[in-house]
Amino acid sequence: MSTPVLFVIVGKNEPLFEAEIDTHSSIGAPGQNDLSTRQNYFVLHSALDLVEKSAFTTNSMYLRVVDKVNHQQVSTFLTAANVKFMLLHGGKGEEVVKNFFNEVYGYYVKLSMNPFYKYDTPITSKAFEARVRAAARAYLS
Amino acid sequence: MSSKSQAAQAGQALWSKMPKANAELFALTYGSLVTELVRDYEDPIEVNAQLDRIGHSIGVRCVDEFLSKADVAGMGLATQCQNLRDTAEVVSKIGFKMFLGIQAEVGGFSHDQRSFSIYLQDNPLSTFVELPPGDEQSGGDDLRKLKYSNLYCGVIRGALEQVNLKVECSIVRDTLKGDELNEIRVNLKEVLADGAGDDYKEE
Repeated sequence: MSTPVLFVIVGKNEPLFEAEIDTHSSIGAPGQNDLSTRQNYFVLHSALDLVEKSAFTTNSMYLRVVDKVNHQQVSTFLTAANVKFMLLHGGKGEEVVKNFFNEVYGYYVKLSMNPFYKYDTPITSKAFEARVRAAARAYLS
Repeated sequence: MSSKSQAAQAGQALWSKMPKANAELFALTYGSLVTELVRDYEDPIEVNAQLDRIGHSIGVRCVDEFLSKADVAGMGLATQCQNLRDTAEVVSKIGFKMFLGIQAEVGGFSHDQRSFSIYLQDNPLSTFVELPPGDEQSGGDDLRKLKYSNLYCGVIRGALEQVNLKVECSIVRDTLKGDELNEIRVNLKEVLADGAGDDYKEE
């Protein structure tokens, strides 16, 4: 029952942030076996091309579900600067995912106001990671 | 005690008359300044010294503005500060309030009355700032040595220098490093004799 969700922030050239969030356990640490984790990353990255495609179809930042693989779906949120927030999940409601993305977007904006954070570089802030995990637990469980 | 509330009122009144700037713009501008300095000098100790120098230039001009505005408003500050305690009150309650709009507390007076501390609950310069975790490249705690708000130390030093008080300031507690509030320690080194006298002495 507790399929973990995989949340990735992708910049122009590389992933900036990755978090595997187990929404049902009390600790946020990943407890998956390696094979399914690798599969998840593969699915998410292969969905990147489809993100580009659907970006042209809509005006809004939230791109809904861009790809479906087996029983998993990839939802994407595109920020104004073309940074992609991608979530691999097992069929959460669209509203729920949208709210989660909006919350993370708020944290992302605050992070980018930090003068020490260089735009489009990997995110190392522990505070940001904690907030994203808390938001995931709040919205996605 | 009445002088404290007088000072607070004066500070509030002066603040309301000052032209205002957007707080985010202010914080982001300062942030860019600090990151550029870090990129140029790389050594955080050197950056601290530069921030102090910049603050010094600012302080020298701030004190003139303060004295002119306070006199015009007739705040009863025509009477000079009698001792360091009064100076501390004026700097924190009126100075910080007038230029930054923040509440600053004084305390920690030493026994010989030659040093004191200024406590800042919130620091408008460090909104949004988070010191990056130690990088491996230049050896662990590189930016831990950076005193982000060292500008304040320079400002206080520059301002008091213009009124013949030579002080040494340093930041002892910093919210960016995990403390609950920001504390600036000010030590009086010496009271300078009026410098202008020398030039006009007759031969």
